[in-house]
Amino acid sequence: MEDYPEELRTPPVSLVCLTGCPELHHPISAFLHSEQPPINTLALPDFSKASVLARKKNRDPLSQPTPAPPSGILKRDWLLKHRTRVPAVVAALFRADQISGDPAQWLQACTDLENLKSLIHGRSTRLVVVLVQTQAAEELSEDVMAALRKRAEIDSKHLVEFVQNDASDLRQSLNKLASLFAELCLTYYKEEGRRIRSIIEKKSSPFPELNIRYCFKIAIYAEFRRDWSEALKFYEEAYRVLREMANTSTRLPPIQRLVEIKTIAEQIHFKISTLLLHGGKIMEAVARFLKHIKTYKRLVGLPEVDFLHWEWFSRQFLVFAELLETTAASAPSSQSPQFGTSESPFSEWEFQPAYYYQLAANYLREKRCCLEQSSVSKTDLPTKITEAPDSVMPSTHIGQSARLVEEGDIVTVLPLSDAEYVAYALAEAERFQDCYEIIALYKRAQESFSSHGSQRMACLCTLGMAREYYASDDFTNSKQLFDTVAAMYRREGWAPLLWEVLGYLRDCAKRLGLTNEYTAYSLEMAALPVFSTGFEETIDFGPAGPATLSRREEIQREALNFAVETDGDPEPVGLDVDPVSPLRSVLLVAVAFHEQSVKPDSVASLTVSLLSHLPLLFKVDLLEVEFNQPACNFSMSIPLEVSPNKWLRLTHEVKSGQSGKLECLTVKAKINNNLIICCRAESPALMEDLTSWKYENQRETYPTLDPALSLSGQKSIQVDEPNPLVDLTLNSIGPALVGEVFQIPVLVVSTGHVIHGGELKINLVDARGGGMLMSPRETDESDAHHVELLSISGLPEEKEDDLNTDLSEETKSDNIRKIQYSFGVVSVPVLKEGESWCCNLEIRWHRPKLVMVYVSLGYNPGDVDQRVNVHRSLQIEGKVPFFTNHRFMMPFRREPLLISNIRSLISPLEEKKVSLALKENNIVIVSAKNCTDVPLNLVSMKIVPEGGTNSNEKLFLVQEISGISNKCTRFVPGEEFRGVFSITPLVAKSSLSLGVVCVEWTRDSKNQDQPETVTTKHSLPQVCVEEPPLVAAIECPPFAIVGDPFSLYIKVKNNTNLLQEIKYSLGDSQNFVFCGAHVHTASILPGKELVLSYKFVPFSAGVQQLPRITITSVRYSAQLTPSIAAGTIFVYPAEPKFSLEKNGSELVV
Amino acid sequence: MTTTACFIVVSKNDIPIYEAEVGSTVRQKQEQAHQHQFILHAALDLVQDLAWTTSAMFLRSVDRFNDLTVSVYVTAGHTRLMLLHDSRNEDGIKNFFQEVHELYVKTLLNPLYLIGSRITSAHFDTRVRALARKFL
Repeated sequence: MEDYPEELRTPPVSLVCLTGCPELHHPISAFLHSEQPPINTLALPDFSKASVLARKKNRDPLSQPTPAPPSGILKRDWLLKHRTRVPAVVAALFRADQISGDPAQWLQACTDLENLKSLIHGRSTRLVVVLVQTQAAEELSEDVMAALRKRAEIDSKHLVEFVQNDASDLRQSLNKLASLFAELCLTYYKEEGRRIRSIIEKKSSPFPELNIRYCFKIAIYAEFRRDWSEALKFYEEAYRVLREMANTSTRLPPIQRLVEIKTIAEQIHFKISTLLLHGGKIMEAVARFLKHIKTYKRLVGLPEVDFLHWEWFSRQFLVFAELLETTAASAPSSQSPQFGTSESPFSEWEFQPAYYYQLAANYLREKRCCLEQSSVSKTDLPTKITEAPDSVMPSTHIGQSARLVEEGDIVTVLPLSDAEYVAYALAEAERFQDCYEIIALYKRAQESFSSHGSQRMACLCTLGMAREYYASDDFTNSKQLFDTVAAMYRREGWAPLLWEVLGYLRDCAKRLGLTNEYTAYSLEMAALPVFSTGFEETIDFGPAGPATLSRREEIQREALNFAVETDGDPEPVGLDVDPVSPLRSVLLVAVAFHEQSVKPDSVASLTVSLLSHLPLLFKVDLLEVEFNQPACNFSMSIPLEVSPNKWLRLTHEVKSGQSGKLECLTVKAKINNNLIICCRAESPALMEDLTSWKYENQRETYPTLDPALSLSGQKSIQVDEPNPLVDLTLNSIGPALVGEVFQIPVLVVSTGHVIHGGELKINLVDARGGGMLMSPRETDESDAHHVELLSISGLPEEKEDDLNTDLSEETKSDNIRKIQYSFGVVSVPVLKEGESWCCNLEIRWHRPKLVMVYVSLGYNPGDVDQRVNVHRSLQIEGKVPFFTNHRFMMPFRREPLLISNIRSLISPLEEKKVSLALKENNIVIVSAKNCTDVPLNLVSMKIVPEGGTNSNEKLFLVQEISGISNKCTRFVPGEEFRGVFSITPLVAKSSLSLGVVCVEWTRDSKNQDQPETVTTKHSLPQVCVEEPPLVAAIECPPFAIVGDPFSLYIKVKNNTNLLQEIKYSLGDSQNFVFCGAHVHTASILPGKELVLSYKFVPFSAGVQQLPRITITSVRYSAQLTPSIAAGTIFVYPAEPKFSLEKNGSELVV
Repeated sequence: MTTTACFIVVSKNDIPIYEAEVGSTVRQKQEQAHQHQFILHAALDLVQDLAWTTSAMFLRSVDRFNDLTVSVYVTAGHTRLMLLHDSRNEDGIKNFFQEVHELYVKTLLNPLYLIGSRITSAHFDTRVRALARKFL
C-alpha cells in the first residue's frame, strides 16, 4: 500500500487558490485546513504568479471533430493536478485602501482581475474578490463596490469584506470566507462531475478507455464532494468496463496491455475497498475482494511473464490485508459474523488480515517459482529475448512504460515492444530478493494467528517461513523453524506431514554438519508409521522423498552407515532417548525385575526388553546396562538382532550386596561401532505408549514373557536389610496400675552381630488409634499427659534415677539420650557376640489407657556400612487400682433437724448437696475395692484437708474411728476395705471442702524388698454445714429381757432462741406394754432440752420392733421418724450369761 | 469438470485415521496436491471453535484456501470428517458425509476395531471412493 502515490491513498481535498495580500495567506490557509471537511489552499503571493493556473492546450479527445484513440486509460498526473494545481475557487484579495485610493492602484487592480478572469476562462472555477479592511471604520462606498463587482463579473455575495482589526472580527470574517469557499467548492465539483457525466450520456464513446477515464473522474469529483455512494457507483462502473475491455482492446502489445489493465484495476479496486471498509461494510469489502480475485486469477497472460501476474496477484492480497488491518485498528470487531450460515458465507479467517498475508506470501512464492523458470528459459535461449533497454521509465499514463532516447539535446519518448518490456521486467524482478518479503509476510500472518490462538494455522505459516529459509540456503534459521513445526505435527500425530518436515530437518542438519541431529532425524523418520498408500510417487515431499516403506528402509541404512563413511572421526554418534524423546520409537527399553524385593547377596533376575519400530532388522553389538549401584552394572557383548516391531527380551541376573533401592538407570546400545543409543530404562508398569504407533494396526506384544509382569513390572527392586542377629526382648508383669511407676525391662542380646552405634528408640502410642497420647491443645499442661515415659533406668553408667521427664539434652557427647512424654532415644553400647545389655523403661499412667510400646533397635553390624533394625512392640493396659466410694451418716439414734434437707424435699430440682450438722459428729464411711487382678497392700487411709493439715483455721475436726489396724493390710482382688471417720464441723458454711481421702498402697510382691508406696487420691464432695435448730436423740439400753421393764428417753434439744413446740406420738405394739403419753404436745424453751421418759416391758424374745415414734416440729413442719434400725431392740428370754474367762476376750457393748 | 478433493478422517485426539485423495482428474501441480493435508490440518483450528457453536453435525464450509474449500462434518464422538474440495455442490457433500458417517459407524461396530486407531479396511476405502464418485 505504501507503494501507491499519496493522492491515491488519501481521499481528495478541495483546493482553493488565494492571490494578493500574502501576509493573510497563512492564517487563512491554516483556518481552512482545520475546517471539517478541510480545504487545501494554493497560495500565490501576487497576481503575476497566477499563470500557474493556466490550462495546457491539449483538449479533450472527444471535443475534437475526429476523435483519435486515447494513448492510455488514466493519466498519471491527473489526480495530482486536481489536488494541487486546479483550484475550485480563486480568491483575489485586495486591500480596501488600494481600491479606494489612488486611481493608478485601481487600474492595477482592474488589470489583475482581468488577468485572473482570462486564466480561469473556460473552466467553471469561481472567482471571489475579498476586500481586506484593517479597520471596520474605513467603509467603502457602494459605488466602489459595485464598480469592482462589475469589473470582476461576480455576484454580490462573491464579494466579501474581510475585517481583521480584532480577533473576534477576524474569526467572523474567516468563518464567512470558509463557508463561502465550501459552498463554491461543492458547486464546482458538482458541475465538473455533471459535465463529464453529460459527455458519457450524450454519446457513447467508441473507446472504452475514455469511458473508464470519465467514470473514474466522476468518482473522484464525487469524492471531492464526499459523496461516497456516487463515488462507489462510478468506481464500480469503471471496474466493470475495464474488465470487459481486457478481452477486446488491441491498442498496446498484449503483455503491456494486460499490465496496464491490471494496474488500473488494482487502483480502482483499491479505491472501492477503501470506500467500503471506511464505510464499515466489511462483509461487502470481503465479498468484493473475493470477486476481484476470482475475476483476475485466470488472467495470467503469456507464460514468459506469468511472474508479473503472480506478483500483482500477491500484491492484491497484501494491500487488502493492510487495508483490513488499518480499518480494524480504527473500528475493532465491528463485525461478528455468524459463520456457516447462508447469509454469511465467509469463514472467520476471511475477516482477519493474517489470512490475506499468508495468501500473499503463497502467491509471492508462486511468483518466485515462475520467475526462476522464466530466468532459466531466458538463459537457455539467449537470442530469443533482446537485452533489456537502458532507460525505461513510467510513461504519462498509468500502467505504461516508455523508453527514453536521447539524441543530442532532444529527448524522445518511444513506446516499448513486448520483447523489450519482458526483458526489462525480468531484469527488474531479478533485482529483488523475494524470499525476505515472503518470510516477512508469513511472519506477520504467523504472529497474528498465534495471537488468535490458531496454533495450527500459525504452524502452517511457520512452515512457509522455514521453507523459504531453506530455499534461500539459510539452514540455521530454517532448522529452528522446522523444529517448532515438527513438534506440532509430532504432538498431533500427523505422520505424513511430520515425514516431510523431518526430511527438511534432516537435510538442514546434513548441510550444517550436525551429525548427531542428522542421525536422530533420520532414525525418527525411519521409525515413523508411514506406509505406501499408492499416490506418493505423484506428490513432492521435499527432500524427504516419498513416504513409503522402501524409503524408510533406505533412510535407516543411510543413518546407520553414515558414520562409517566418515570414519576419520573416531567419536561414535551418541543419542539420548528419554521418556519424552521422539526417538522412543527407534529404541524403547523396558526393564522389569521379576520380584519386588530381594535378600542381600542373593540373585535377582530381571528382563531387559528392546523394541524398535525401524523397518529393518539391526544388530546391537554391545549392550550396557547401568544401575544406581555401579557394582551391579553389566554388559552383553554378544551381537543381538533387534527385529522390527517385536520385543527382544533378555533375562539377566544381578546380585546386590547393598540394601536399599536397586534401580536400572540406562541401557546403552552400541550399533555398528559408530552409534550409541543411550536409553533411559522404563518400567513396563509405568511405560507410556508410543503416541505415533499406538493406533497402528500391529500385533500387540508384551515386553516380558509373563504378561502380568508387563503390567506390574518395575525397573527398581528393594534390596532388604540383612537379617538381624540380635535378640530384643520386652517383658512386662501384668497390667500397669494408674499412679505407679511401671517398669518394662528391655533386654538386648547379641546372637551373632557385633552391635556398633546401637540406638534404642521407644515410642508410646495410643493403642485405640489417634497416635498421640494427648490432644495437641493440651500439650502445655503437664497434667494432660495421660501416659508418660519418665525415664530409662538400669543403664550401666546411670547411677541416678532422678531424670526429668522432659530431659532432652545429651548427657554425653557420644551418648544419645532424649526422653519426651511419649518418645525416647537411648544409645546402646558396643556389644560383642554373646553379650547382653538391659534397661528398664519407666512409664507412669495418669489415667487408665491402653498403650502400645514400640521399641526399635538400630545398629551397624560392624563390617558392612548399613543399618539393621529390629522392632518389638508390647501392648500394656493401665488400670485403676481401686474403686473408692464414700457415705455420710449420723451417729446411732441421733437426728439433728437440718433445714436444707426439708427444703430439698420441697423443691427437689435444686442441687443436691450433702448437709452436715454443725458441732455434731458426722460419720463418713470410705470404702475402697481392689479392682485389679493382683493383691495389694494398703498402707494407710486418711482424710487430708485440701489446704493441707497445717491450715491456720480449723474448719472441722477429723477423727479416725476405725481403719487399718496393723501396718499393712493385704487385700486380694475383689476385696473391699472400709475406713470410718468422724467429722465435726466447727463453722457453719454453705460450701465446705472436706479434702481428699488418700489411700497409700503398694503392690504385694515378694521379689521386691522395698516396694514403692503409691498414693491414690479420692476427693470428698463439697458439703453444706448448718446449725440444726432441733436435735432429737433416743436413748435406749442395748438389749432387754422378757418381762423386765426398761426405760426409753426421747431427748429433744432446742438450739434456737425461740420457743419450739413439738408434737410427739408413739404407736401401739403387741410385743411391748409401756407407760407414757401416746400423743402429746410440748413446748421447749430456748436452749433447753426436753426429755420424754417412757417405761417399756417386753413380752416376747428376739429382735423386736419398738413402737413407732414420731416427733413433729410445729414451726418447721418437719417430722422425725427414726429408722427401722434405730427402732429395733434385741430381747433376751432370760438374762444372758457370758463366760468371759473362757474366751479371754472382752465383750464390747 | 476437474475436481480436486482430499478426504480425511481425524480422530478425536486430532490424529488422522484415514486419508484419501478422491479427486477425479490428474493434478497439475504436484506440490499443491501435497499441501492438502497441511491445509486440512490448519483448518482444525477453526473446527474446534466452531463445533461447539452449533448442534448440527454438518458444519458446511469452514475454510477457504484459494479455490479450495474445506467442509467438515463432526460426529457425535467428535471424530471429524474433513473434505477439501473445489466443487460447489453442497448437497452432494452433505450426502457424501452422511454416507461416510454411516460407514464409519459400521467400522466402529467391528469388535476388533480399536477406537481411535487407523482405518485400514479395504472395504471402507473402496466404499468411500465410490461415494466420492457418486456425490462429488
